[in-house]
Amino acid sequence: MSEKTHFIYADNAATTFPKPHEVLAELLEIYETKGITGRGSYDFSIRAGEFVNRVRRQVCKFFGGDDPTRVAFGYNATDALNTLIQGLIEPGCHVVSSRLEHNSVLRPLHHFLQQGIISLDLVPFDSQGFIDPEDVAGAVRPETRFVILTHGSNVLGTIQPVERIGAICRELYVPLILDVTQTAGIVPIDMGKWGIGAVAFTGHKSLYGPTGIGGLVLSSNLDVRTTRFGGTGFDSTSVNHPKTYPQRLEAGTINQLGVIGLSAGLNYLERQGLDKIYAYEMSLIRQLRDGLSSLDGVRIYGAGSMERCLPLLLCNIDGMDSEQVCTILDGDFGIATRGGLHCAPLVHRDLGRSLKGGVRFSLGLLNTAEEIDRIVEAMAEISRFRKNGLRD
Amino acid sequence: MIEGEEVSALGVRKRSIAGKEIYFDKDGFLLNANDWSEEAAEILSREMGIKTLNEKQWQVIRFIRDFYMNNGKAPLSSELKAALGWSLMELELMFPGGIRHGARLLAGLPNPQSCS
Repeated sequence: MSEKTHFIYADNAATTFPKPHEVLAELLEIYETKGITGRGSYDFSIRAGEFVNRVRRQVCKFFGGDDPTRVAFGYNATDALNTLIQGLIEPGCHVVSSRLEHNSVLRPLHHFLQQGIISLDLVPFDSQGFIDPEDVAGAVRPETRFVILTHGSNVLGTIQPVERIGAICRELYVPLILDVTQTAGIVPIDMGKWGIGAVAFTGHKSLYGPTGIGGLVLSSNLDVRTTRFGGTGFDSTSVNHPKTYPQRLEAGTINQLGVIGLSAGLNYLERQGLDKIYAYEMSLIRQLRDGLSSLDGVRIYGAGSMERCLPLLLCNIDGMDSEQVCTILDGDFGIATRGGLHCAPLVHRDLGRSLKGGVRFSLGLLNTAEEIDRIVEAMAEISRFRKNGLRD
Repeated sequence: MIEGEEVSALGVRKRSIAGKEIYFDKDGFLLNANDWSEEAAEILSREMGIKTLNEKQWQVIRFIRDFYMNNGKAPLSSELKAALGWSLMELELMFPGGIRHGARLLAGLPNPQSCS
């Protein structure tokens, strides 16, 4: 058997892999005719530009946005979050976020906090991994510029009650920015219905696109300052960056290959159906949870019921460093997982695992029930070995 | 902190081993792989909680070190397993901190800088 057939990939929260063949085929086919910038006046270029705008409409619809021109492409979610955070903060403003956040939110905010530009409150999460909307309400002050939260934790897999938080933010006239890195492509997202000011997304995780493409969707009642400047393909007589969207938030040539791949990924999701994807992936994670729960020495973190959760599970084997477990899973069993802190240090700190982190299994559409059985068997063997030493 | 050790503001630690001044990063990894010696490995292993390095542990340390000096990188798990013939389970539990934070450190390799 080839390496590929041996390999069980359970690190889909980092990036989905492998990409579906039909996504890759569509990407290559379209790139052959639309793989140029849309800034020229020749027909090929105009068609390429029209294609990008079609993808803006597709993305806007996918996230329930209200204006496709306010879909701005970037490299990934971190890039989009930086665009939003840097374009929204004002000296002396206050920001509300949470202790569940990834460093893609924590680090930009702490950069401005340490410079004395902003003040910051991070709301806690409960023992199950959920933020209490009332904590968000209590943290908002008159000078709060925005609330920025992860929709789904990349460590615990918990989906936050953003409908309720969105309603609270709307009542308080504070924009809610959502990091939908882990949820986009797994659960429906409706900016309009939930009162979301902006979402930041990446294309390469559960949207099944390639790496290097992501972006943001901005609601029409929220404006973001330009923080990067450059060529936009129009109004070239002016040395000032345009104020119109989406160019206002895009500088330089767009990742055309990425946009095409993102579109192919969205088309793929539409054919599969989000409800079916979620049901399938959650059936796998429940199977994994049930299997691991029955093992001695395996500790599982996060929500007990797996209601409002992503297909992601964090655990540890007693007495073992998470990275050791991951190395053994890879080297002895051909299972790819992620140990350590998952770039979300405060979550682990609050779980009391700050030094060792945890073993994260994150499943995708291409995982199978047979693979879950193999993962459980592998974890059982490692746990036994830790306790009793090697069998003959 | 170890007796006689100096720590810089950036966390770089300087200490004397076998009459030689050696610099370590904040996690205890050598900053310069050429500063490594078997004596240094013995001292560091004792500080790690290993009474005396046994022959199997030396085999792992020597393989990792030779691989690094010849290839400029640490061996992959699959390369380690193929070369030494032991499972990753055995290898990982042979050193406190496993291969990445135990054996690599004792072999004088740079900090693997993982997400922890």
